[in-house]
Amino acid sequence: MNPPPSPQPYLDPEGAPPAASSREATRRPTTEDDALVQRMAAGDERALGALYDRWVDVVHAVVARVLRTADDVDDVVEETFWQAWRQAERFDPARGSVQTWLLTIARSRSLDRIRTLRRRREEPLEGDDGYVIEQVAPSDPGLDVEASERRRIVTTALAALPPEQREALELGYYGGLSQSEIAERTGQPLGTVKTRMRLAMQKLRSQLGVLGIEGGG
Amino acid sequence: MSEGMGHEAAREALEALALDALDASEREAVLAHVAGCDECRRELAALERTAAQLALAASPVPMPSARRDRVRARLVARAGADRDVDGAAVAADAADAVGETLPGVVPPLRVEPSVPERVPEVVPIGSRARTRPRLAGTAWLAIAASIIAVIGFGGYLRASADRDLLRDALRTAATERASQLATNDSLRAAIGDRDRMIANLTGPDVHVMTLASTTQTPMGRMFWDQQHDAWTLVAHHVPMPKAGRTYQLWLVTPTAKISAGTFMPTQSGEVMMRATYALPSDSLAAVAVTDEPGGGSLQPTTAPLMVAAK
Repeated sequence: MNPPPSPQPYLDPEGAPPAASSREATRRPTTEDDALVQRMAAGDERALGALYDRWVDVVHAVVARVLRTADDVDDVVEETFWQAWRQAERFDPARGSVQTWLLTIARSRSLDRIRTLRRRREEPLEGDDGYVIEQVAPSDPGLDVEASERRRIVTTALAALPPEQREALELGYYGGLSQSEIAERTGQPLGTVKTRMRLAMQKLRSQLGVLGIEGGG
Repeated sequence: MSEGMGHEAAREALEALALDALDASEREAVLAHVAGCDECRRELAALERTAAQLALAASPVPMPSARRDRVRARLVARAGADRDVDGAAVAADAADAVGETLPGVVPPLRVEPSVPERVPEVVPIGSRARTRPRLAGTAWLAIAASIIAVIGFGGYLRASADRDLLRDALRTAATERASQLATNDSLRAAIGDRDRMIANLTGPDVHVMTLASTTQTPMGRMFWDQQHDAWTLVAHHVPMPKAGRTYQLWLVTPTAKISAGTFMPTQSGEVMMRATYALPSDSLAAVAVTDEPGGGSLQPTTAPLMVAAK
């Protein structure tokens, strides 16, 4: 049984406690992305178009990692930006960057779609041909310098993980598999999968924290 | 703290929860604990930020431009309709509303009738100068024919699908606007303008032509509302011409190439241009865009940047 979609951590639900990462509010200057989201919240669809132009390739990369057919990918890319449009008023810059917010939506909507497809078609779990995060980041002419640098850091941190821990992380994140499903697929005991996933996340968090990427500590 | 799951057990499951990798029953139990535990809530928030960074590791895969443009058009049209429904920005300048559905688009060159007035140096529409063309008509038609073969029927279907989506979105927007702004006299003229634009783009007699590029990058669509003699060119990825140069739109018949005015793209390469010209439906052979000296030319002096056969 698949878990329901996870909540969105970058929104500011009513009654929510102050952002745990309040230090980011002072660390992060207002960015071009923040300004675009503010304009979206005011109903300016041109800002949505501009945000789309800035981030569509990155969003597409995430969605295309999870889904296989062009129609599904296009639908989810559209729904990602549509959700951003609808929730722009609730976006809280103190909780993270626009980029992270968009990618979180993209991943969540992608997993929703693939889980729906699996239920509808009763598809077996994906084969072994997917979910291999590349270890060397190519140059990204479409991204700004900061985004490219963040990507390089993340891929480097992932590459430093033991293969079995990275596999557990990837199958969970990009495959949308639960720990039980990962155990079934890999033939490993459930307890082993849990340990690997936990260790992988702890190491990744530590690496990113040391390098100043949000999510650390 | 929750009675169901202990703190340590919940704490050990937070990494998987952040990855959305718990089975449903375990997920509910952990969430129940987190709801009452400040420490776990803070920890989960940090882990979720870490998990979100994993998305960055996906290798960039540029979206094919046709799909990218199609999704963009749908999104912006939906947002425009949504904005009007929600009334979030009713005060937006409705006269520019259609242009605003394509971000960064320059204002229409001609808002009935303006091509001769705003660019008087261009051959006015209807003035069919017979100076010797630099490019033979047969060459234009050959280019158009070769490109239309490349475009294929799929291009037409995409254009039709875009038009249908645009029609639905704009119809919704027009309906909502009509009900919300019926008493606002100052916006009536603007609404009329948009209604005309909707009709020009989506009416039953509108013929849609996709302009393919001879240099691969730019693309565009011409909406020819034959009932109202209205021409609307929407183009993307159009490079800025060199200093002192401009783009010029041509309506090509078997006997003439008729200037429909000059235009410049925005910095982001977007173009929306409108013109009005009565042309018998059976006399159009192609539409084309050329790079011309500033102010335009009497006849095209360069090979077309974009062209579409009827």
